[in-house]
Amino acid sequence: MRPDFWPALRSPIPWALLALAATMPFLLPNYYLHILTITLVYAALASAWNIVGGIAGQISLAHSLFVGAGAMLASALLVKLGINMWLGMIIAAAASAAMGAAVSFIDYRFRLGHLSFALITMAFAEMAEIYVTNTEFLGGASGLFLPKDKGDLLAFQFGGINGVYWIMLGMAAACVAVNFAILSSPLGYNLRSIRDNENAAQAIGVGLLRNKTLAMTISAVLTSIIGTIYARYLAFVDPYLLVSPVLTIEIVLFATVGGLGTALGPALGAFILAPLGEILRGHLGGFLPGLHYFVYGLVVVGVILLMPAGVWPSLRDRVLRKPAAAGN
Amino acid sequence: MAILEVEGVTKRFGGLVAVDSVSFSVEKGEILGIIGPNGAGKTTLFGLISGFLPPTAGDVRFEGRSIVGTPPHLLVKQGLVRSFQIVQTFADMSTLDVVTTAALVRRPLREAIDYAALILERVGLSGKEFLTPKQLSLQDKKLLEVAKCVATDPRLILLDEVMAGLTLAETEAPLAVVRELNAQGVTIVMIEHVMPVIMRAAHRMIVLNFGAKIAEGTPQQILEDKAVKDAYFGDHIDA
Repeated sequence: MRPDFWPALRSPIPWALLALAATMPFLLPNYYLHILTITLVYAALASAWNIVGGIAGQISLAHSLFVGAGAMLASALLVKLGINMWLGMIIAAAASAAMGAAVSFIDYRFRLGHLSFALITMAFAEMAEIYVTNTEFLGGASGLFLPKDKGDLLAFQFGGINGVYWIMLGMAAACVAVNFAILSSPLGYNLRSIRDNENAAQAIGVGLLRNKTLAMTISAVLTSIIGTIYARYLAFVDPYLLVSPVLTIEIVLFATVGGLGTALGPALGAFILAPLGEILRGHLGGFLPGLHYFVYGLVVVGVILLMPAGVWPSLRDRVLRKPAAAGN
Repeated sequence: MAILEVEGVTKRFGGLVAVDSVSFSVEKGEILGIIGPNGAGKTTLFGLISGFLPPTAGDVRFEGRSIVGTPPHLLVKQGLVRSFQIVQTFADMSTLDVVTTAALVRRPLREAIDYAALILERVGLSGKEFLTPKQLSLQDKKLLEVAKCVATDPRLILLDEVMAGLTLAETEAPLAVVRELNAQGVTIVMIEHVMPVIMRAAHRMIVLNFGAKIAEGTPQQILEDKAVKDAYFGDHIDA
């Protein structure tokens, strides 16, 4: 670990923020708590994606594969075979890890460049959607209904929105912490050197296959677990929402606006854009159809023009007044 | 004892023979210079030795073992490292982070950071730890290339034109680093165009032309070699 990792973890600020966030179910009406929960899902997803897309610079568009595995596979195992959803979550995470490793191997074997990697992972995502909507076991095109949430923790039931909110809060915090831990470890140095220049990275002893596979596997496992929790929250798993390449595009957008490759940026991006999207839709959607998309698009374009490196790096450099070098 | 043995190494790109059955060996502790006109195959030869390019034919042995087919990052772990002629910049990492990554080959992170800072100081880049490579001058970029290699604790360094583009005065700093390394027992193979520099630094030289080795010897012997003069100036000059 880099010398600044443990002091940061011991600092009271993140823990205080986390404690404050944990009180939200007692303060917010359900509609806003719902928005906040969705935001946490996206913050966690964007952070998990950042390990591959930001720190390692591999623009993966295959992450709907892992969300889908976590959501659809764990749900199908429960509904069709009666397998406990905790176990289903682990099986789905293992399946995601295997798929992630396979994607990394294909990338290594065929020396895909950045553009080819993005396109091929997108092709995987499209295939996954077609496969899931045509596979009866996974719910097919109509999706799956999960049994009612009775608050039985052993059965992966969290007792409604409050419980799911707390679980997602923990998951999002864990994803950010994993990002920070990676950036503070040799893996982070290796991945950043791969992002910047693969040949030069190899020339100083950084193995491409090992490091990329490790990043993809960690990211896939986290993403899959988020997918399982999200499925439990939605109670109805819809392949056109959860295995959709559109979902990945949203994740990539949030991470990019927040600040690629930084530990906090992707979560911050989700916290800015996800509630904005929901609230705009809630307030403008009934007024003039499509207006909320227009305003949302303006905000995204504005942020990217004003802060091309992302919101978090811009804020950090403005506050600390030092060149963006440290990477977290 | 030979630390590096190159035997009949050939590289073909389609119909073009970039390196044509080149053989030479490098003794432990030596500084070997490689010169040759543009396009002679010098950088391709480095690519073949350092694992970036598979040779079409021939064998390369490092410390007695064949290293053909070994990927570059594993060769670095075994103690063979190369620099790049075209300076490879890392867009977003600071110079300290870049050299730290190299030092991680043999050290845990905390030690690697300290060691990287020490090496940056040794090559004359202290005070520039937090700049990104693209903020560096050409001279400093070349020093960074050397620092990256040094940080991996190599036994053999392949330096590809680390002096090119520098004025004679500017070559003093990298040259001093090269000599200091050599004094510590590191074997060095360097491609160089700046003749006064390589004449002073190299113990022995080989000359490539059109992919083939045309001469080998001490700097003095190379200067007087007929084939070398022909390669550089054309054979009509002597007539």
